[in-house]
Amino acid sequence: VPLGSTPGRRARASRRRLSPIRSIVLTAVAITLSVVAGGLSYFLPAAYTAVQATGQVVSPFPSLSPTPLATNSPTPPAPAQVGAFTILLLGSDDDSKFQGDHVLTQSMILVRIVPSTHSVTMLSIPRDLWAPLATGGSGKMDWAYSYGGPGAAMASVAQDFGVHIDGYIWVGLLGLIRLIDAIGGIDIVTTNPVLDDYYPLDINTNSPYGYARIAVLGGPQHLDGTHALQYVRSRHNDIQSDFGRSRRQQQVLLAIRQKAKQLTAADLPALAAAIGGELKTSISLSRVAELLPLASSFDNPDAIHQIVLASPYTRGGAPSGSLYGNWGLILPLVHQYFP
Amino acid sequence: MIPRFLLGLFLALVMVFTGTSTYLFISSRQSRIAVAPLKPTAVAPTPHAFVLPGTLYLEQSGALYSLIAGRFHQLTPEEGWTQPSLFPDMKDMLAVKRSGFYSNVFVLNRFGHALGALTNNAAGKYSYDTGDNHWAFYPRLSLNEATVFLSYDSPKFGYEVDLSIWQMPYNGSIRQGRIWTDINDATGYTGGDVEPIPVPSGILFTKYVRQPDGSIFSQLWFTNSAGSYGRPLTGANEACADPSMSPDFHYVAMVCSYTKQLAYLVIAPWYGSSLGPRSVIISNQFVAQPIWAPDSSGIAFLAPTAPDGPFQLWFLPSQAYFPPAPSPVPTPTPLPGGPVAPSPSPSPAPPPPVIKPIQLTTDLGFDASSPLAWAP
Repeated sequence: VPLGSTPGRRARASRRRLSPIRSIVLTAVAITLSVVAGGLSYFLPAAYTAVQATGQVVSPFPSLSPTPLATNSPTPPAPAQVGAFTILLLGSDDDSKFQGDHVLTQSMILVRIVPSTHSVTMLSIPRDLWAPLATGGSGKMDWAYSYGGPGAAMASVAQDFGVHIDGYIWVGLLGLIRLIDAIGGIDIVTTNPVLDDYYPLDINTNSPYGYARIAVLGGPQHLDGTHALQYVRSRHNDIQSDFGRSRRQQQVLLAIRQKAKQLTAADLPALAAAIGGELKTSISLSRVAELLPLASSFDNPDAIHQIVLASPYTRGGAPSGSLYGNWGLILPLVHQYFP
Repeated sequence: MIPRFLLGLFLALVMVFTGTSTYLFISSRQSRIAVAPLKPTAVAPTPHAFVLPGTLYLEQSGALYSLIAGRFHQLTPEEGWTQPSLFPDMKDMLAVKRSGFYSNVFVLNRFGHALGALTNNAAGKYSYDTGDNHWAFYPRLSLNEATVFLSYDSPKFGYEVDLSIWQMPYNGSIRQGRIWTDINDATGYTGGDVEPIPVPSGILFTKYVRQPDGSIFSQLWFTNSAGSYGRPLTGANEACADPSMSPDFHYVAMVCSYTKQLAYLVIAPWYGSSLGPRSVIISNQFVAQPIWAPDSSGIAFLAPTAPDGPFQLWFLPSQAYFPPAPSPVPTPTPLPGGPVAPSPSPSPAPPPPVIKPIQLTTDLGFDASSPLAWAP
């Protein structure tokens, strides 16, 4: 023991030092923790948004079980397809003309996905279709959401069309614009020039009752979110009105799916930040995670069926300028694609 | 033995470094699909890159650009300029300036300086009806430079706003113009008639036609007099648009979708008022706005870099669609006063090399709804 030092001081000095093995272990733990922390800080905002948007509780309505308007379908139901599921896509004006969640669903598309056959069927439900609503009475189909939220919309479609619906996805106008911009726009062959002298000027404005003129020219082109929305929303210069618009909506949905195949997990935070608050779904986050990889497997154009219920499936003359459904034709068609 | 203080300091630094690196690494794995296109003038020409002959005019983000010797020059500010088309004598050009509710046709010199407006499509000062405005698109000057052909949204019937092909005097106004293509109830509400191309015998244009099932597809049509109905040059199932006439008026290049989400590059011989058999020359790209090189060396067009994204500039050399004729097989020549020289042994001709399109830009984003213009 050197002069001037005591065993106690040596012990204290020894306690202030760590052995190399313990130092290495601590370093490894620190690196692991910081890697996890770095990853969490990247994905946490997206995870928060995803948790907020997914797993929305659907208010139950008594008629959620399918009880179609007519049951004497001449087409026998197809055998059940393994893993198949049906989602109701809802698109709404959600500008300041509307209060809270009492919006009309201008776009209602029933989508059936069959993973085993890699097939997709999209059935556009006319928003002006006059039918019994789950909230009581009859009305235009797009009123159901306004009266009772997504649960009422799902229940109305389920009871009128005799289909089982597994969940819904709702997106607002701004959400569609932001979604398409977040994936860098879409490539599309626009079917024709879409010109509208009275296109609603209701986004990002204090006066949502104004009009704009739009001209989306025809042919192959790259559309950003704003122009894609103009393409799918305009209906004044379409003699088929809502039916023509429905065709364009299905076309844009397929273009979004095509572009989304290039996304990586690292894109999720930017995507979530873009559409946060403008998208909600009853599908759980874990189910979404299961379904996302499926998107890239639907590549066969012949396995994508697009259905629009134009004449003879519907006809005019119903109240409030709406349409009567020819249920004798609609239901066999629906049962064929949505068994 | 390592002092605790030093180890703690070391670990703190390691954690900050590793955490930040992890964050940056993950963010670097983002796809590039949402990256905004660069301005053409921000891209330096690559040494030894393929250079197009002459001067090509294109539009990106509302600005016109020229491409000369591999270098882009911005001609106009980003103020809605689009659809340039050169005068037949190549001295000046027409272009459209698009505002929020209307668009006008201007004459520009080849440096992008506006020399004057040919239309005035804005609604009156006291008008509160958005329908009082008008669109003018796709201007083209006739071969004698006396007449402008354009797509103009008149007449309008309430909500029906369709474009018709109009003719107006170059030194006059649209009020002195005449409608060339006929809009009637059978073809209304389709978007109408666009992309007129004056040819010696009349005009070639794209017509959007409604099919019996309600769907709408484009067809190339031809008409030779104002007010006539004209006649189709391509079938509805071909769904062709974006026509471009070769400099010698012998061929038409066009884009056909065959009613799918496809855009193939197709050429066909032009017989003065009808089209010959079609040849698909690009079927694996999403093609738009083909234009023939003024020296007939190839066709430039716009297409995304596979699989999709903003449209880039491409060039297809003419050897891809007009393969050179095979060299003649040498024939034996009799020697004077002697036997016939032996014929060279026939060897199978080597397969012609596959000519692929050349991608000229990578990170730009040209407007695929705006035709290109190309001067020698």
